[in-house]
Amino acid sequence: MVQVEGLTKLYGDFTAVNELTFSIQPGEVVGLVGPNGAGKTTTLRCLAGIIPPSRGTVRVCGHDLASDALAAKKQLAFFTDEPRLFDYLTVWQHLNFVARIYQVTDYEKIGATLLEELELAPKRDALPGELSRGMKQKLVIACGLLHSPKVIYFDEPLTGLDPYGIRRMKDSILQRARDGAAIIISSHLLHLVQEICSRILILKNGKKIADGSLAEVTHKFSQTAGDASLEDIFFRATSEPAAPPVLPGEAP
Amino acid sequence: MIAAFLYLQIVSARNRLVSRFQRLRQPKYLLGAVVGGLYFYFYFFRYLFLGHNGRVAQAALPPEYGAVVESLAALLLFIIVLLAWLLPGDRAALTFTEAEVAFFFPAPVSRRMLVQFKLVRSQLRIFFSALLLTLFSRRFGGHVLIHAFGWWLILSTMSLHFLGASFARTLLLDHGISNRRRRLLVTALAAGLGIFVWQWAKKTLPPPTAADTADLTALANYAQQVLHTGPAEGLLYPFHLLARPFFAADAAAFFSALAPALLLFLLHYLWVTFADVAFEEASIEASQKLAERVAAMRAGNWQAAKKTQKAKRAWFRLTPTGPAATALLWKNLICVGQIFTARLWLILAIIVIALVAGFGQSSHAENLGTVAVIIIAAVLGYSLLLGPQLLRLDFRHDLPQAEILKTFPLRGWQIALGEILAPVVVLAGFQWLLVLIGFGLVLFLPGKHAALIVAIGLSAACVLPVLDFLLLLIPNAAVLLFPSWVQAGKDSPRGIEATGQRLIFAIGQLLALLVALVPATLGFLAVYYPLKLAIGPITPIPFAALAATVIVAAEAALGVWWLGRFFERLDVTEAVGN
Repeated sequence: MVQVEGLTKLYGDFTAVNELTFSIQPGEVVGLVGPNGAGKTTTLRCLAGIIPPSRGTVRVCGHDLASDALAAKKQLAFFTDEPRLFDYLTVWQHLNFVARIYQVTDYEKIGATLLEELELAPKRDALPGELSRGMKQKLVIACGLLHSPKVIYFDEPLTGLDPYGIRRMKDSILQRARDGAAIIISSHLLHLVQEICSRILILKNGKKIADGSLAEVTHKFSQTAGDASLEDIFFRATSEPAAPPVLPGEAP
Repeated sequence: MIAAFLYLQIVSARNRLVSRFQRLRQPKYLLGAVVGGLYFYFYFFRYLFLGHNGRVAQAALPPEYGAVVESLAALLLFIIVLLAWLLPGDRAALTFTEAEVAFFFPAPVSRRMLVQFKLVRSQLRIFFSALLLTLFSRRFGGHVLIHAFGWWLILSTMSLHFLGASFARTLLLDHGISNRRRRLLVTALAAGLGIFVWQWAKKTLPPPTAADTADLTALANYAQQVLHTGPAEGLLYPFHLLARPFFAADAAAFFSALAPALLLFLLHYLWVTFADVAFEEASIEASQKLAERVAAMRAGNWQAAKKTQKAKRAWFRLTPTGPAATALLWKNLICVGQIFTARLWLILAIIVIALVAGFGQSSHAENLGTVAVIIIAAVLGYSLLLGPQLLRLDFRHDLPQAEILKTFPLRGWQIALGEILAPVVVLAGFQWLLVLIGFGLVLFLPGKHAALIVAIGLSAACVLPVLDFLLLLIPNAAVLLFPSWVQAGKDSPRGIEATGQRLIFAIGQLLALLVALVPATLGFLAVYYPLKLAIGPITPIPFAALAATVIVAAEAALGVWWLGRFFERLDVTEAVGN
């Protein structure tokens, strides 16, 4: 579904993403983790065709994102960490707009179902300004899923969601994967990644330092294979000591 | 505590100034500051140093109008105060920033202290406004210090009055007097006073004769008679007190007018500081809204930055299939809002046709028609200059959403076309309406140059939409090429350097337009002159305009293609920031 080869993104002398190569199969949920500045968001933006890579190729469902961008983008959905909506379009107008962009002929039926599923139906004529953050997130998801994408990227999908929203989001991601979509989730929430991802990809300073199932990554970085959490693995892999927080009054 | 507030203000202002100066290391800000500084000097500041022999003296108000202008100013202040009691409906909400709410509200700071802080903070804005207004009003004569202090007094007192009115409004609401009842009371009071003054003037003053309206001086004298005698004088007295220092002719007059005005200011100050009105809850809400608006403005989303938004109806039904660029046009037209609905266009057209028909019945129809055609031509010209600056529902509006646009399965030229179409539609619609009025004038009025007007009107209707498109391409290209110069991004410049940058861009845009118009002009002339020899001077105009339209359209198409290619390659992270 997604083939990435030698993906590199340079900003002047700074290398944000360095020779990244991996592929994702249908139904796979890949967790993209790494410390701040590791290049996760830049990688996702390159994979979504938002920013052009400096080097390397990205293929989505067999279409090269550089030479056949339209066909590739038709199969994609990218959910940013902040719900980005058009302030002056209502909930339903957003769906109408996206339907024309992606040429979704039966959008009225799909849209109505999505709004029902996401509990947005009563807000059909509301502007984004009238929605809570969670509702905005749901609207973004409805817009993204309207054209039934085969490849989905999430950048910090749980930011700002309440426990119900988190549960629904996790269920929704897993359901899409079961339906055959290839999914990449970039997140700092390691327990989320551990819970729902079938594969982990750890980045550090723009470079891939681990790629595999949780067991494989654990085996690579743990002396006591099998009993370490992703958090332990993350700190070992990125060479950051997992120091406990120092509480007021305690000696450092 | 007030020392802490002053410290915050002074340190914030100092740091802001330092960062402004540090920013001048970047050439774009330095150049902008130089051009902006020159503009401000030549347009405003040099008048501060001119004596009465310069342009100031020429623009100065004749002394015989001084009294009536002061009365009119007092009347204006009265109306503003009346509206402050009539229109607003919300509870008192001193607007703090979110940081101020977070630091002050949980701190041991009394309500009165918070009001004091707001007053201290508002002074910075008032000083700046007073300075700008002085730069402007000084051009019409008077002493610079008198004007500056006069403006400060007026603005400060009015600001205190607005705050006091909002406190009073809250108290009324707390006592069960709804906004509706308050508005009814204020309206009844204003109407009663208005009728009283009108009746008095009718009974006491002679009705205006032809001599009273013969010239401006006579008219001013009559107005002064109405405003400065009887009940109107009493009604406007406090407002005269406030305005008088500003209109003082010399230092002696200023100082004699100063004490009553300062007393008025002091009374307002005591009113707002001793009014114990709970404003905290509304203030927290207001600060959140302010933060959202500021964030929207900093992201360049001025539409979202507006105080209230309402869901707007789409201009047309968007089917799920068809050219994808239409979706962007559809979206941006929704943003244009209910102001430019089809119903409005229809109403405008009906009004205009009715007016033209009315002119047709007039004995001065021919003169009126000629004047109207000249006005239409001038407005059309200005629409070409100002329209692309005012209608910004294109890349200038959507650049902060570039990340979304880039994920769409659309070619760059489709996005560019879709983005630019909405302002073109609105602008061309307005211009066509004007052309329609021109045609109406020709149809209804006896005119000497009807054929010429029709030929020019047809030509304008033909060429204007593509010309609008071309004109809109220029700022759109600029915003993609130099986003940090044009866009209202997170580090958007303000002040003198921003004015300078805008001037540089305006000049650049004009130059680019002139270059783009050269081929069209040559095409026009190439068609016009041969035809003129064959069929006369007027009939070839629309044909030549058609040739020019084709050339401009080709240039516009090329521009859209190029802009699209550029957008495809644009790195939104660099252009818009994270």
